[in-house]
Amino acid sequence: MSQLGQVAGILGKLNNEYQTTTPKKLKLIDAYLVYVLLTGIVQFAYCLLVGTFPFNSFLSGFISTVGCFILGASLRIQLNKANQSTFNVSPERAFADFVFAHVILHLVVVNFIG
Amino acid sequence: MARLFIFAVGLLLFASVWSSSLNVDGSSKRLLVLLDNLGLRESHSFYFKQLKDRGYSITFKTSDDSSLQIVKYGEYLYDHVIVFAPSTKEFGGRLDAEVLTQFVDAGGNVLVAGSNTVGDVIREFASECGIEFADDKSAVVDHLNYDLSDDGQHTLIVASPNNLLSSELIVGQAKKNNLPFLFRGTGMSSDPENPLLLDYPATVGKRTLLISVLQARNNARVGFVGSLDFFSNDFFLSAAQPNNGKKSDKSGNQDLAVALTDWLFKQRGVLRSRNIHHYLKSDKSTPRFYTVKNDIVFNVQFDEFVHGKWMPFNGTDVQLEFVRIDPFVRTTLANKGGQLEAQFRVPDTYGIFKFVIDYNRVGYSHLYSATQVSVHPLLHTEYERFITSAYPYYISTFSMMAGAFLLSFLVLYHRDDLPKKKAE
Repeated sequence: MSQLGQVAGILGKLNNEYQTTTPKKLKLIDAYLVYVLLTGIVQFAYCLLVGTFPFNSFLSGFISTVGCFILGASLRIQLNKANQSTFNVSPERAFADFVFAHVILHLVVVNFIG
Repeated sequence: MARLFIFAVGLLLFASVWSSSLNVDGSSKRLLVLLDNLGLRESHSFYFKQLKDRGYSITFKTSDDSSLQIVKYGEYLYDHVIVFAPSTKEFGGRLDAEVLTQFVDAGGNVLVAGSNTVGDVIREFASECGIEFADDKSAVVDHLNYDLSDDGQHTLIVASPNNLLSSELIVGQAKKNNLPFLFRGTGMSSDPENPLLLDYPATVGKRTLLISVLQARNNARVGFVGSLDFFSNDFFLSAAQPNNGKKSDKSGNQDLAVALTDWLFKQRGVLRSRNIHHYLKSDKSTPRFYTVKNDIVFNVQFDEFVHGKWMPFNGTDVQLEFVRIDPFVRTTLANKGGQLEAQFRVPDTYGIFKFVIDYNRVGYSHLYSATQVSVHPLLHTEYERFITSAYPYYISTFSMMAGAFLLSFLVLYHRDDLPKKKAE
């Protein structure tokens, strides 16, 4: 019981730290990532319910959410100043990568969705 | 016991069908009549006159005539043969049981009459057809249904038309007229294990057949009547006086004999099909190939040979099958004055299909027609463009794109509220 209390305490502290120390831009990206995650979960649940009939459509929709999540996450990593030591790229470069990769991703997704 | 008079129709298994160019319809009428002695021409003159009136060109010959031949230089000289020579041991000339069997193989029709003595060659031909005559010097005896003018042995029997096969094509109006028949002769039996035999008699005592007819796979017809006297003038004209029934002024022999001969020699019960068309229901065109799930219409014209002419056939039970090894569709064709038509939807399977009509009914010739068509699967542009059940996926994909687009604006133009301003 006390362990549960400990976990709750840790989570509360995590949340607190997050709210105070994270820059707003990164919080926006985090919100976007949550949205993408939810869309992915909804799609997967729909496929489980209805069946895999147009399997290519399901795959392309799901991969689009997964891809967007990954690209958003990598943008966040690269824009976080705390990571400057390992990821030494300028924000412009990070953004350019983000856009370029998105273009390719959506091209492929729309082609595969049928 | 009452049921002695039985018609049996069976299909024969001939090993090979030779050129069946003989007798496709009843228009050819060369008839050869083989007699025991030429005196039969007078004693059976009514019957032969009826045949002559119907347009047959008859050749009379005795069965041991040494110039007898039915095939010359590979072509048959006659279309039909009547054998009124039951006591023949061997035919003269170039005729024997094998030649007669080949004649039937090629499409010729034969009528054979038996009597108390049946010769070897007749027995041989009959056994080729699956019929076995009773032993020599035996006669069909019916102690319950004999005619009053019988000589005491009860061999002259009166048979009731109730035992006839109910096929108007074969027996004509005989069943309707309800006149009894006079019969004196021998009986036959046929193979009881033949699965194609109709009207199998119910008990062993009734296995005696007095008249039997067969239609072979190539539609040639062979008839065996156990009594030569059945066709005689005496029997045609005399009254039938059964010991246990009422007297009738005329026996039904003449009607039955003539009707039977008509059927045997292809004047009745012959079918043909022509004008097979199949097309799409929507625009009545016949494409080079059909596609899965098309609606198609099939029609064919059926004719029946009646009284010397081809008339439209009016049966309503002709079935059409759409077969690719197994039938996928089986429908009944609707009959509009001889024009049979059916509509159906091509199944959801592609491949090579055949329109098969296989019409096999008692008294009619067997009609089989198969027309081959190919059915293609849908082209990739013929599928529906957007699948309804995939709309969630379409929506989510575009929402991802919109979200990423918005995010990029935010990332570019967001300004932190911290003193350290980030340019753009």
